[in-house]
Amino acid sequence: MISPELKKVILTELNLDDFDLQDTTMAPEVPGWDSLNHVNIILAVEKSFNVKFKSYEVLRLKNVGDLQKLVDVKTGK
Amino acid sequence: MNTIHLDDSKTLWERWQRNAERNPDREAIVHWVAGEEPFRWSYKNLIGTAKKFSVRIKEAGIKKGDVCAIVMHHNPLFYPLYMGISRAGALPAVLAYPNPRLHPDKFRQGLEGMAQRSGLDYILTEKELDPVIRPLIEKPGSTIKSVFFPLEWDYNSDTDPEADAEIEKISLSVRETEPILLQHSSGTTGLQKPVVLSHRAILNHVLNLGGGYKLTEADKIVSWLPLYHDFGLIACFQIPLACGITTIQINPFEWVLAPILLLEAITKEKATLTCLPNFAYNVLAEKIHDDELSQINLESLRLLVNAAEPVRHDSHKKFIDKFEKYGLNPLSLAVMYGMAEVTLGLTVTDPGKPITELVVDRNELSRGVMKLADKDSVARVCVSSGKPLNGCEARIVDENRKDLADGLVGEVAVKSVSMFDGYRNYPEKTAEVVENGWYYSGDYGFKYNNEFFIIGRKKDLIIVAGKNIYPEDIEDVINQVEGVIPGRVISFGEEDEKMGTEQIAVIAETKSESEKEKNDLRMAILKAGMAMDINIHKVYLVPPRWLIKSSAGKPSRKANKERILSREDKQVWSR
Repeated sequence: MISPELKKVILTELNLDDFDLQDTTMAPEVPGWDSLNHVNIILAVEKSFNVKFKSYEVLRLKNVGDLQKLVDVKTGK
Repeated sequence: MNTIHLDDSKTLWERWQRNAERNPDREAIVHWVAGEEPFRWSYKNLIGTAKKFSVRIKEAGIKKGDVCAIVMHHNPLFYPLYMGISRAGALPAVLAYPNPRLHPDKFRQGLEGMAQRSGLDYILTEKELDPVIRPLIEKPGSTIKSVFFPLEWDYNSDTDPEADAEIEKISLSVRETEPILLQHSSGTTGLQKPVVLSHRAILNHVLNLGGGYKLTEADKIVSWLPLYHDFGLIACFQIPLACGITTIQINPFEWVLAPILLLEAITKEKATLTCLPNFAYNVLAEKIHDDELSQINLESLRLLVNAAEPVRHDSHKKFIDKFEKYGLNPLSLAVMYGMAEVTLGLTVTDPGKPITELVVDRNELSRGVMKLADKDSVARVCVSSGKPLNGCEARIVDENRKDLADGLVGEVAVKSVSMFDGYRNYPEKTAEVVENGWYYSGDYGFKYNNEFFIIGRKKDLIIVAGKNIYPEDIEDVINQVEGVIPGRVISFGEEDEKMGTEQIAVIAETKSESEKEKNDLRMAILKAGMAMDINIHKVYLVPPRWLIKSSAGKPSRKANKERILSREDKQVWSR
């Protein structure tokens, strides 16, 4: 389940009003989420949740659900 | 330090084989995968496996002169396969593996366009693409003869010595003037321009660009660049292999997700040279946390070559500011200018020397005159692309292709001993751009103190992160979006200073009036771009008859881009 906070950060960074982000949603399915923008989204998530990801953690993310889990681990949820 | 040993080989295969005989145990390719031990090809093993692939190639029915498109992920077997195709006298053409967002129809359409233009004979790919590619092969009138899955082939067993001898004979029959490979310019719908290069062009380029880089036997070239791009294929694959030195190949898909991989590879392999498009300097400087860099040491790097998109002073400055404390020598930064039509490089700055930068008056420059800035000027920093390599010449010409004096802005015309033999099956396009042995590049620049400065483009090509994109491709697709007035769309590249590259913008006329309608239309435009693996960064919606027409009656990209970027029109909706 994608938290409203994470969804908001991603959609704001992508300049989208709404998009149905599910656990299984992958970056190429979301308008604007290309490889060039990926790094900006990750930095925006880090800033918003006040966490830092390691490069290899980012590399292992397959979908938005994985990103949510990583945020949860980092924020101690 | 030992300079590179370049023998009198007439073909690349001959050169590769001789390199393997001279230094069999030297590492040829270090295949880098994040978090794993790299796969290391020695020259001897690489050539041995390439020979086995060449036998399989012949058994598959592929003949000398056939064009073989390779569509594969980052895989250690790619390299011997590529070389095996070459040994069999066929022409490898590396194509991008389709991104998941690319619609299968669009991928097939792109392949079909290439097949019709370039005469692709075979596609060598991975099994998972079979359902996507098969319909294309089976389509009546298809020029593509078959699709093969070389990763499934047996390349471990010994091959029949007779078959091997036959291929050796074919290989020896290849002359230096015959083609070695085919490269495609960007584009997705048949606008690609296939560039065919001969063995001689590449071997000359190895000599001249290798000389420009001052390559020695001690050099190791590390790259994350995709091998379907000429910067990756020529600078980071063909040149090191032809010089008998080591290349470290990083997965491009992994690099964009974890840019630190390049720095790790430089540190661990003590790499000396790397090649980067401009945006990568921004990404490396700004998108990696300092606490991840504690183990990074860039002291081994003696040359970083910036090319493939406009070079920006700010990007170099950010990069030096960030990495000097990690051992980066600021004098290791260099710039190259070139194009696939001359194999790759045309000019390069002097390795180990400061790059010339001119602070010029922006307004005078837009009027076609380079004037050094004074206190009243709106300044622009122009970064030198250096001087022509040995065997290359460049001139700045006016619209009638007459020479312009130093300091005047005009089109860059180039000539090289590594010139292409024309676009394959495209004589009318070749005739447009080549005259009396000069290639008219469509790039704008000026010459000053024998150095060339590239400042813009005559053609409307968009370059996003080093990737060339034709606006026509985007406009064709957006024209079909419901709500857009057909034929009333233009696309252009909009500067993104933060990322150090251009981003794609679209201006479309529409009758939509409400905010909701416009937002829905923007989303439809973004999705249409996604289906062709194009990320549209900004959408400008304008009312009917807003777009300025050119004298040919079509909306003018240049005039409308200028109008939209003046940001003065309240009729424009943008997001």
